[in-house]
Amino acid sequence: MEYAAYFFIVVGLVFFLGTSIGLLRFPDFYTRMHAAGKGDTLSTVLILFGCIFAVFSQGDLTFLLSLKILLIINFVFIGSPTATHAMMDVGDRAGAKPWKRKGGSK
Amino acid sequence: MPELPIWQYDTLFLALALLFGITALAMQNLMGAAIVFGAYSFLMCLIWTTMGAVDVAFTEAAVGAGVSTVFIFATIYNTGVCAKPKTPRVAFKLSTGLVALGTGAFILSALPDFPNWGDPQSPVNSTISPYYIEHTIRDAHVPNIVTTVLADYRGFDTLLETAVVFIACIAIYSILRTDAAKLKVTEPDIVTPPPAYDPTDSLIIRQASRIMVPFMQIFALYVIAHGHYSPGGGFQGGVILGASIILLCISFDLKYVLRQWTEKKIMLLTALGVLIYAAVGLACMIMGGEFLNYKVLNPLLPGDEAYARSHSILLVEIGVGMTVMFSMIGIYINLASNGRFDRGL
Repeated sequence: MEYAAYFFIVVGLVFFLGTSIGLLRFPDFYTRMHAAGKGDTLSTVLILFGCIFAVFSQGDLTFLLSLKILLIINFVFIGSPTATHAMMDVGDRAGAKPWKRKGGSK
Repeated sequence: MPELPIWQYDTLFLALALLFGITALAMQNLMGAAIVFGAYSFLMCLIWTTMGAVDVAFTEAAVGAGVSTVFIFATIYNTGVCAKPKTPRVAFKLSTGLVALGTGAFILSALPDFPNWGDPQSPVNSTISPYYIEHTIRDAHVPNIVTTVLADYRGFDTLLETAVVFIACIAIYSILRTDAAKLKVTEPDIVTPPPAYDPTDSLIIRQASRIMVPFMQIFALYVIAHGHYSPGGGFQGGVILGASIILLCISFDLKYVLRQWTEKKIMLLTALGVLIYAAVGLACMIMGGEFLNYKVLNPLLPGDEAYARSHSILLVEIGVGMTVMFSMIGIYINLASNGRFDRGL
């Protein structure tokens, strides 16, 4: 149980690192939001999943606690991509131009 | 302070406060009124100090006399009622800086007199806190000491805080609300509203918020009701409830929400929250105790005296939650619809 928790949290942190690098290094609004939307959701879900394993073997209220964390995962999974989508939508309406490779074909 | 009895100071300060208040209201010049209001705030600050409420006095000095005066000045300058100030000379700037530095040094010189951070011998830690820590469970069966202090031991304070939220809501209504029917002159729209149920509007956002909103509201009720045992209470739960309705306003549109929550309903429920709180206090008086002394509600509520206090805290928190929730919704709708309550985000 404990090693599963370590595994999920470490993998989540790796994805978080990727998200942060993507957020800083991608060339335009849409690609940055893409990094934030996908990477952030996945890494948060993984870390929370690790937390479930971490709490599962201690204390007496762990079942309820795990259930609550599962609910949080559910809402992060619904809410985070929707928020990204909303920002993308607004960016499109506000006229943010997508990035194109210099000299590339259309 | 010298050894005058306290009522003489109080009379003096109160008379001066009254004088400044009337002067500020009677003044035609907005700038002058703002300055007189600053002086009024400092007088209130002195009154708090003579009452021994130094924390309130600090807040009054920082917020009432300091920041809000600066805000009023900034508003007056930016709306062009007053001429813009000339750029001051170097000598004036230097002397102002010296005065500021001198005041700062004077305040800092009082710093060594304060007790150390977390000092067990300081008055706060040696007299007040142990009382609450020892008595909370016995008095009210509430494990969360903060909630008990907030809603029971200092219930009066919280009642007035709720009233402040209500008054702020009313102030925003009286400033922003305009009657769309009477508004013949088409002023430029600050908020450009999208058309109602724009089919190009995102289905994803609408469906996602449709799923989220009920859970948000259940969680908010949990926060209000669980304030006895964990961090939470009326203010926090009310904010979450208000946010859930605002999420509906954003993801659908304002008309959709206004069908359920008309302006009249929102306003009435805002007032009803404060009324519930005050009514609990009044019920205590009718039952023969002091205002907000929940112990005497024992015959009306299940359990012994301590449980009566616990249940009354819940009642009071519900009132606070209602006021906060509907104030937030009202303020949001006023801002989003430019005060017209008809369309907007």
